[in-house]
Amino acid sequence: MNSTPSPALLGRVAALSVVVVFFQIGVVSEVPVLGVNADLTPLLVVFVGLLGGSTLGAVTGFSVGLLVDLALLQTLGLTSLVFTLIGYWAGRLRELRDPQAALTPLLVGAGASAAALIGYSLMEFLLGVDAPVSLELLRQIILGTLVNTIVALPMFAIVRRALGSALPEDPRRRRRRRAYTTGGLSPLTKA
Amino acid sequence: MHDKTVRRRRAVLGLLVVLSLLLLTAYFGEAPKGRLHAVQRDFLSVVSPIQDGANKALKPVRDLFGWFGDTLHAKGQRDELRKELDKLRPELIAAQAEKRTYQQLISLYHLERLGLSDYHPVQATVVGKSPNIWYQVVTIDKGTPDGVRVNDPVVNGEGLVGRVVAVESDGAQVDLITDSSMGVSARIGTSSATGLVVPKVGEPSTLLMRYLPANTVPNKGELVVTSGTVAPPDNSLYPPGLLIGQVSSVNEESAYTSVNVHPAANLHNLDVVAVLTSGATGRASRLSSLLSSLPAGGSTGSSTQGEQLASAGAGG
Repeated sequence: MNSTPSPALLGRVAALSVVVVFFQIGVVSEVPVLGVNADLTPLLVVFVGLLGGSTLGAVTGFSVGLLVDLALLQTLGLTSLVFTLIGYWAGRLRELRDPQAALTPLLVGAGASAAALIGYSLMEFLLGVDAPVSLELLRQIILGTLVNTIVALPMFAIVRRALGSALPEDPRRRRRRRAYTTGGLSPLTKA
Repeated sequence: MHDKTVRRRRAVLGLLVVLSLLLLTAYFGEAPKGRLHAVQRDFLSVVSPIQDGANKALKPVRDLFGWFGDTLHAKGQRDELRKELDKLRPELIAAQAEKRTYQQLISLYHLERLGLSDYHPVQATVVGKSPNIWYQVVTIDKGTPDGVRVNDPVVNGEGLVGRVVAVESDGAQVDLITDSSMGVSARIGTSSATGLVVPKVGEPSTLLMRYLPANTVPNKGELVVTSGTVAPPDNSLYPPGLLIGQVSSVNEESAYTSVNVHPAANLHNLDVVAVLTSGATGRASRLSSLLSSLPAGGSTGSSTQGEQLASAGAGG
């Protein structure tokens, strides 16, 4: 498998990242659900990693994190670090396990959201932010993960559609084509 | 080939992580006016117009999502407010009742300051009201032991309320001035023309002042007060000058003039009243003795006819 993302893919990912970050800041952040806001940015990173591989996932994570930190005047590098690791992890998951279940995006999205929220909180505590570890924080993490899980499937569909044909070859599709061409499952070979 | 790919992948990850940590360390360590903060501010100034444009363009989307959220939130708030309303309503009712009682007590206090203390007012609480509009009767919690007697006038801070018609040891019954059995000799404003105030037939909450001399020209809005005339044996039960109501309209009759009177006291909202325990006899005896000391000439001559008519009507 060629792990170097094509320029077309990089361009699409960049455009999608900008759109999603601004949509997150302009719309999603102002619509609370169950008292918390959905965060599309970790979902974007994790799905790009899941569809494009670990390198693309890590680069996207770093870029999106930097964009978020710059746009929201947050501590530079903090979100980048968390998102880089998340994107890389999602890419490695694709490369090692290649999960094909329909609910994979849901579980990966939930895991990534939880990891992002926990990782971000941990980093903030490590940096000495003066805030107590409270039940409220725990509630925010749980509800945030739940809300992100709800939007994970539609977000995955959007990311896959946006990246479209620029994506690296789908391993499942590759296997299916190989089976047809080698005659194992092709109905034509039976004739 | 595979090793090269793995090395490159790990190198990219390491580079990005190190870059993030460097950014983090530098940003966290520098002053708010440092380079990275400046970059951040510059970036913000560049993307702010884009962000504003995006915000405006996406406002309908935000409003749509917000509408759903607000609706759900509003429903929750409505339920909470309903519960709160149910909780507060009894408190409000109790507070309003207390306020009304307090206002009536204040009025009674002012009434006493106007000189009614000479009539030994006994403060009483209304404990029962007739539910029937045709029986304008209330029950008070003061009786014989408190000095209350039959025919004692009953007032509140707004004016004349009625008179005691029955007394027991622990309470008394009061006929309101709108009861069909009532009749009070009265005069309009400061004029000397007297008449008899009785309930208006068919309108139990309105009074009619009858038997005014035909040449009397009452004006709408003039005050109607008790005349308090004394002409033994038909002495008025009520002290002079007690407010009964206001002239609401004038009726032209052949021999006499009559006017409609709107009662001053809110008879539907009686909580606290005062019984003038020496009103019926004490005042009359005092004024009788005063009259007897005056030279002959009949200063009450003009009112005698009205008093007799009033007495004939209802004993007022």
